[in-house]
Amino acid sequence: MENSTDNKSEKTILFLCKCGTNIAGSIDFDRIKKWVKSYGGIDIIATGNLLCSPKEKEKFSQILRTKKPDQVIIAACTPKLHEKTFQELAEKEGVNPGRIRFANIREQCAWVVKDREKATEKAIHLIRAAIRRSRFSEDLFRKTMKVNTDILIIGGGIAGIQAARALARSGRKVYLVEREISIGGFLIKCEEVAPNMECAPCMLSPLLAEIRDSASIEVFAPAMVEEVVGFFGNFKARIRQRARYVENTCMACEECFEVCPVSVTSKYHHNLGNRKAVYTLFAGSVPGAAAIDRNACLHFKDGSCDACVAACPYQSINFEQEDSVKEVEVGAVIVATGFSSPDLSAYPELGYGAVENVLSTGDFERLASTNGPTEGEIKLKSGETPGSAVVIHCAGSLMQEGLPYCSTTCCTAALKVGELLRKQNSEARVVNIHGDLVFNKPGEQKFFEKQKEEGTIFIRSQDLKAIKITTADSGKILVEGKDFDRIESDMVVLASGMKPAKGTGALSELLNLSLDDLGYIVYDHEVLQQTRSSLDGIYLAGCALMTCNASTAVTQSVSASGDIMSRLVPGNEIELEMMTAVIDPELCSGCKLCISVCPFKAIVYNKEKKVSEVMEAICRGCGTCSAACPNGASTARNFTNHQILAEIGGLLK
Amino acid sequence: MSKPKVAVSWNSSCGGCDESIVDLEEKILDVAEAVEFVLWPCAMDFKYEQIEALPDEDITVSLINGAIQNTDQEHVVKLLRRKSKIVIAFGSCACYGGVPSLLNLKNLDDSFRVSYTNSPTVINEQGTVPSADSEDDGHALSLPSVYKSVRKLDDVIDVDYFLPGCPPTASMIASALTALLEGKLPERKSVLASNKSLCSSCSRNDSKPETVSIKNLVRIHEVKADPGLCFLAQGIICMGPATRDGCDYPCIKGNMPCTGCLGPFDRTDQGAKMTGTLGGLLEAGDEEAAKKMADGIVDPAGTFYRYSVAASLLGGKREGEENE
Repeated sequence: MENSTDNKSEKTILFLCKCGTNIAGSIDFDRIKKWVKSYGGIDIIATGNLLCSPKEKEKFSQILRTKKPDQVIIAACTPKLHEKTFQELAEKEGVNPGRIRFANIREQCAWVVKDREKATEKAIHLIRAAIRRSRFSEDLFRKTMKVNTDILIIGGGIAGIQAARALARSGRKVYLVEREISIGGFLIKCEEVAPNMECAPCMLSPLLAEIRDSASIEVFAPAMVEEVVGFFGNFKARIRQRARYVENTCMACEECFEVCPVSVTSKYHHNLGNRKAVYTLFAGSVPGAAAIDRNACLHFKDGSCDACVAACPYQSINFEQEDSVKEVEVGAVIVATGFSSPDLSAYPELGYGAVENVLSTGDFERLASTNGPTEGEIKLKSGETPGSAVVIHCAGSLMQEGLPYCSTTCCTAALKVGELLRKQNSEARVVNIHGDLVFNKPGEQKFFEKQKEEGTIFIRSQDLKAIKITTADSGKILVEGKDFDRIESDMVVLASGMKPAKGTGALSELLNLSLDDLGYIVYDHEVLQQTRSSLDGIYLAGCALMTCNASTAVTQSVSASGDIMSRLVPGNEIELEMMTAVIDPELCSGCKLCISVCPFKAIVYNKEKKVSEVMEAICRGCGTCSAACPNGASTARNFTNHQILAEIGGLLK
Repeated sequence: MSKPKVAVSWNSSCGGCDESIVDLEEKILDVAEAVEFVLWPCAMDFKYEQIEALPDEDITVSLINGAIQNTDQEHVVKLLRRKSKIVIAFGSCACYGGVPSLLNLKNLDDSFRVSYTNSPTVINEQGTVPSADSEDDGHALSLPSVYKSVRKLDDVIDVDYFLPGCPPTASMIASALTALLEGKLPERKSVLASNKSLCSSCSRNDSKPETVSIKNLVRIHEVKADPGLCFLAQGIICMGPATRDGCDYPCIKGNMPCTGCLGPFDRTDQGAKMTGTLGGLLEAGDEEAAKKMADGIVDPAGTFYRYSVAASLLGGKREGEENE
């Protein structure tokens, strides 16, 4: 294979580094030098004690300056440590970085081979491999590009909203993608936020208005991100905006709601209330326009109704509207996709879905919310105000097949039942049955003390798994379990934990991120870089990172935004990978199999030319396509077959 | 002006290459009209003495098919080399070792055992196997001796052009002969087929999804293959991506995947390339699943190297091989 381009006029310098005693202690340098002289191919041998020291680096530069070599081989430590250092020094002296070749005689040799004889022997093999390979060296060329300072945020909950505001204020263009028809996430569904019991809609409306009015924030809802390729400073993303069937000329005057004959249960109301086929989630939502539920609307079902068209004073209804796709370029991505709740009906003993008036904390929030199905009146199915409620902590968590972790937010949420119920019925009797109580900060602890004082009874049960919820003969709800007497109650609220949002798996695949054993996206570092994912440029915030409350979600998202702003400074340049793949269009047969294997989605198929093409700005030079290309059309720069086979040849003999 | 002289010769081969020349149909008459056949053991009666009597380089072209496996074959091809201006390695056995070179993955004794004693259709109570010298009824007999490894033609003689295929199709032969007669052959040592893969012309290439991921490998007889969809997308191993284009894909038109008969591209190893490609496409959840999928490939050598062992990194030569 090795039809050598061994050009005798080429000058090769070999630098041998002793690395103090690190290498010299285990390897016989005299023998190596003797071998090199007998092997040939090296014009100058220079030995250093510590090549990476300032003094010897200067010497390195000086030798390159005066001797002007074509190839430089450095037998020293791992290239991971200093390849870049010496490439840059060489470049200053006019030697192309592609001509610098490392033989790792420290980590792969001196440090692991105890016997001096054998270590020296191995070092000779490694140096010979480097010499053989260097004969096929090719020039590499530095490429840079300006960083893109725009941001894509996936998820329009409180984390996404606060990040969008922070980034927009610093002049960044923000693309905010939300799955639902309007932003606001879980928080907008709550009435008051514990422990200070601040009004959530009041807190959110100015933020929503700011997003609505910001020229630098573009909201996509309902929408999804279909593709993200690239790397920090240089991502391309494809966003699919789903059809709303209502144009944004809509002022949400609600005239059409009146005339729409269809009423369906509202998921936004946790199935506790209804909405029309044309609807908004709440007054003042962003985007402001209404949307039509295609699955419910009679026009789409059988064409029998267009009442909304006639009712609309702004001619905003458009049944012909289609999904639209937008390609955007951004420098970073924030994943703020929030959480989902466990399916409590999977635990029949808890009676959820089977016993009337057994609710989750999320359901209860909707009943208590002024933008909820009962406009804030906490009611039983019968329409009466409950006189009693039992709250079960850790429902669906720490149970058989339940979430194997504490979600850390549900205890505080569970305290709100007593607080909110007593506001509407001061006589209401509230019992919380709990295992461990988890409060994250003094304010939450104080809130707990307040509930105790105001009458909530707290019962600690050693075995929450034993709890059984059924209908009592009296028609009320019967709660039985260990460590307490049976309780009859009007209402039961199950304080459930948090799971990763639905679709987290698919999103992680799309973004090339891995999930931990709990299904959360793996973050970079527990202490130092929790809001960074394992892929540079993709950030995590809120429950997409780990179960947390709203304030933590905001802290994280603003922290991620700050990190992004400090790194994606307008005008900054990023260096692109030099060792990218190249596809020879003369050889490429357009079989497209490289596209299947590329982990960075850096290859596109050119339908006109019938060949695959590498997007140089996206390619990270991993070489997977070169290995997979069945006819050798794809080559990894500086890792060509000639180079690799020569190196293997040198290792063997 | 005398007609150009043509020799056709065979070595370790099945006769399919000769058959393919006959497949030129009425065009064969034009060829026979345009040239003078001086040797074609499969189709006509000639004596080697007649070849030996020719001046050197008197034959315009020798089309030599088959791999080289014994001393007699070596002798004949060396003779033809001397007497010919142009030698074309004809068919994949001559180009890459072909099916016979799969023998290189077994030792010669094993091969003899299979062929001469163990085969269910063989009765050979004495256990006789071929040997160069033997004695029968007081007479000394000598036979060509068999080499330990099977070699491609250019391992034995200098070859000018390569026309791969098992066999090369009639249209490939026709265009090669036309180019030859019109003096339009490309650079010496060229392979007279495309250096792109079969996918480049395959009608099913457009049906290939953007991302091919194989969760379940199946063999062609285990499923009813969709006649319009790329085989790989159906989980059926098709050697098309690692095989030269030029055959006009008759197998695929017959709803059979490519087995790779046109062989590897310049400077590549067909089997290594295809295993590398397939490795990237298999979607196995864990190591065990991956192993199970790999185990599902019955006869990997026969699948990936059916026509090219002698031209592969696996080695055209066995350990201990002496015949050079």
